[in-house]
Amino acid sequence: MSLTFKVPIFDVKNLSFRVRGVDILSQISLEIFHGEYIAIIGPNGGGKTTLIRMLLGLEKPSSGEVRLFGKKLKNFKEWYKIGFVPQRASLVDENFPATVEDIVKMGRIANRGIFAGFSNEDAKIVEDAMFKMDIVDLKEKMVGTLSGGQRQRVMIARALASNPEILILDEPNTGVDMVSQQRFYKLLAKLNKEEKITIVFITHDIGVIADDIGRLFTINQKATICNDPKETLSCEDVSTLYGIDAHLIHNHKHEDHVC
Amino acid sequence: MLEMFEYEFMQRAFIAGIFIAILASISGTFIVLKRYSLMSETLAHSALVGVAVGLVAGYNPLWVAVIVAVLSAWLIEYLRSNFSLYSDAILSIILSGSLALAVIIVSLGGAFNNSLFSYLFGSILSVSYEDVVTIAMFGTPALVLLLLFSKELYFISYDEEVAKTSGIKVKLLNFLLVTVVAIIIALSIRVVGSLLIGALMVIPTSSALQYRVGFKNTILISLFFALFSVVFGMSLSFYFSLPSGATIVLTVISLFILSLIVNKK
Repeated sequence: MSLTFKVPIFDVKNLSFRVRGVDILSQISLEIFHGEYIAIIGPNGGGKTTLIRMLLGLEKPSSGEVRLFGKKLKNFKEWYKIGFVPQRASLVDENFPATVEDIVKMGRIANRGIFAGFSNEDAKIVEDAMFKMDIVDLKEKMVGTLSGGQRQRVMIARALASNPEILILDEPNTGVDMVSQQRFYKLLAKLNKEEKITIVFITHDIGVIADDIGRLFTINQKATICNDPKETLSCEDVSTLYGIDAHLIHNHKHEDHVC
Repeated sequence: MLEMFEYEFMQRAFIAGIFIAILASISGTFIVLKRYSLMSETLAHSALVGVAVGLVAGYNPLWVAVIVAVLSAWLIEYLRSNFSLYSDAILSIILSGSLALAVIIVSLGGAFNNSLFSYLFGSILSVSYEDVVTIAMFGTPALVLLLLFSKELYFISYDEEVAKTSGIKVKLLNFLLVTVVAIIIALSIRVVGSLLIGALMVIPTSSALQYRVGFKNTILISLFFALFSVVFGMSLSFYFSLPSGATIVLTVISLFILSLIVNKK
């Protein structure tokens, strides 16, 4: 790949995070480029979420540096370029007074000036984001009444409404049924291929993702970057990563390796 | 029924009351959604310290109340973000601390009298022309700020971290919200009283949330309930010579119970 001369979206150098003397993450270095489709896996407590939080400036690293679109985090202003869907996204407070449209509209707030109202263009972008996520029919519905899978699509539509260049999703399938999960992965792949949106997501679902992803980061205090997940993700890797004994199951339909 | 408007003091009370109903219900929506409900109680007690200082030192109690409530709101935000303390514990500490301080100041200054009573429970008789001017002077910019940033505050109430990663200045806006709320609470003390203002902030929104409608409609229902409670409560207060704060709060609680029953799952 001739990506060497391009400015990466994320440029992470020697990032470490320690809490009360315990290393949660140490010396993580990685780059994420435009158009990539990256999955992050690793055991619970391995530091996946902490890494994402540091990338987004929600957690301060103990040492190291994060650059976003070539800029240091504290100088970065164009946050609308980033769509973040956190872990708890599909577990919204059922009483929160929000229709689907209210939530998706939130995606436009950061893009507008203080005195600017909600323009026709904003309305069009919101409609478009709902269309892409197939939730136009639900727009008048209260978010609290939706299923986990529907809420998940609402949260992504909200992130899409800011016209992001990158979508970051932290275990987006928490509380979502299997059928919705598969539909969800198809949507992500489509966004990556057709809209050229860079996608980074944390998951436990190693088997399901193997088809589409370009690179796999395994995080367990340290980062291992795997450029061809289908080739490299062996059971030994998974066993080492999770500290359990993994067995290989051949899934003939997809010819994936499921551990 | 309309004869009460022939009295100038009632006209003043209604202008002040309607202004406060608008301010309290709109700011209350964000307070409730952010789980800051107890904050209104705490700031009301801090405002009482200002009233005590004003009464004893001979300054306009409402002005001093605004200043003390704002300082207290900033102290709460500072403690919340810089120390590992539970927010409800901070609120509880400042609430009782403020009340203790107010009582000491008042008793040292010998100002335990009807005037203080009216600040505790609200009194429509006591709303002066000067009070109406103070309420309009501080209340108008508070309302403008709330409306200007309502979308951002709504986003922050929904998910603070997502709002932050969307480029919204969460810390600044949280600071702005507590400042505006402190001002509104201090201003409301005349009509509703410091012991009861929390109700006018929290109950209209809690009632509106029962209807499970979107953001805009929740604010509108909350606004309607607050306005109705103030107008109806003040009328009751006038005709039955009752403390206005208490009649307003009982009206809003009746609406709350009604909303619960109507929307029972």
